[in-house]
Amino acid sequence: METNILYRHKDLVEKSKSGDRNSQYQLYELYVDAMYNVSIRILGIKEDAEDIVQDSFVEAFKNLKSFRYESTFGSWLKRIVINKSINYLKIKKIPVTSFDYHEYNISEDINEQDEEGINDSVKSRDIYKIKNGIKHLPDGYRQIINLYLIEGYDHIEIAEILGITISTSKSQYHRAKKKLIEIINTL
Amino acid sequence: MDDFEKYIKENRYLFDEQRADKSKIWDNIESRLNTPKSIVVWRFPILKFAASILILVGAFSIINMYLNSGLNYNNQNNIVNQELRDIDTYYKDLVSFQVQLVKNSSKLQDKEKEEFLSFMDELDEEYNTLKLEMKKNLNNEYILEAIVNNYKKRIELIENLLEQINNSKKSNENEGYIL
Repeated sequence: METNILYRHKDLVEKSKSGDRNSQYQLYELYVDAMYNVSIRILGIKEDAEDIVQDSFVEAFKNLKSFRYESTFGSWLKRIVINKSINYLKIKKIPVTSFDYHEYNISEDINEQDEEGINDSVKSRDIYKIKNGIKHLPDGYRQIINLYLIEGYDHIEIAEILGITISTSKSQYHRAKKKLIEIINTL
Repeated sequence: MDDFEKYIKENRYLFDEQRADKSKIWDNIESRLNTPKSIVVWRFPILKFAASILILVGAFSIINMYLNSGLNYNNQNNIVNQELRDIDTYYKDLVSFQVQLVKNSSKLQDKEKEEFLSFMDELDEEYNTLKLEMKKNLNNEYILEAIVNNYKKRIELIENLLEQINNSKKSNENEGYIL
């Protein structure tokens, strides 16, 4: 079953590998919206996200021969988009992580206990409010919430993407989540 | 994972609310994918062969050009060499003729002849050295001058000797006549 998922769109991928433009367009059409959303969640600016998506597809098609079905084509492509988006932020000197996580490392357990209380107090499971809350998060917090909750990466992967340690990823995430809930409750 | 996280993860798809400008982005992607690749021409044996010929022809042309320019230079050199050879032969003949005269002279003692010829040998040696220098550097005016002077010296030497011989001959004759 899992193998089947990995080989999803295999035919299109193989034809794209040999440079078939039509197959490349079909793959593009299948993934462009998802990739655009991934990028805009990180970057927040439409034009920047378009540039990143464009770069990512070009890179993906040019390096498709190195894709060996170790993951799905979609997750391989998504990783390219995310890496490019994060690099773009780093170039623009926009923080991809929060600066105050060291302080949090010490009192992580206490805060986790706090969160349970806070979670109960989230007034609404309103997706609109959550989206809005994420937009109001500081840059560093927003990235980790996006990567963990929406893109579905685990802390090992996030650590790799952001260039931080796994424990930093965990502590940052908890702090970001706490902040998010606080924001949502004020909306 | 708490309920809050669970809720968001289950509704992930709701976060994909934006729509990309597909045609605009694709146009840019396609134009970038269409940029001519650097073709690896060596994959095609015929091109490999053609390139080899081209290199050979090129190399031949360059060598040819070099040789032609060398020949022109040699032609110029040949003219100069010819002139020099003519001068050289003229003086050589003159000197050898006079040396022969000295050698054949019955009026000179062997010792005198030997002394004279040793001078001539020295000049010969000097001449050979100068000739070697000439081969190394043709345009050296000083060497040319030195060669000419070498010849002049020899001729002068011989002329002086011959004059002496003639003088002694004359005086002998005169003596005879007086007597």
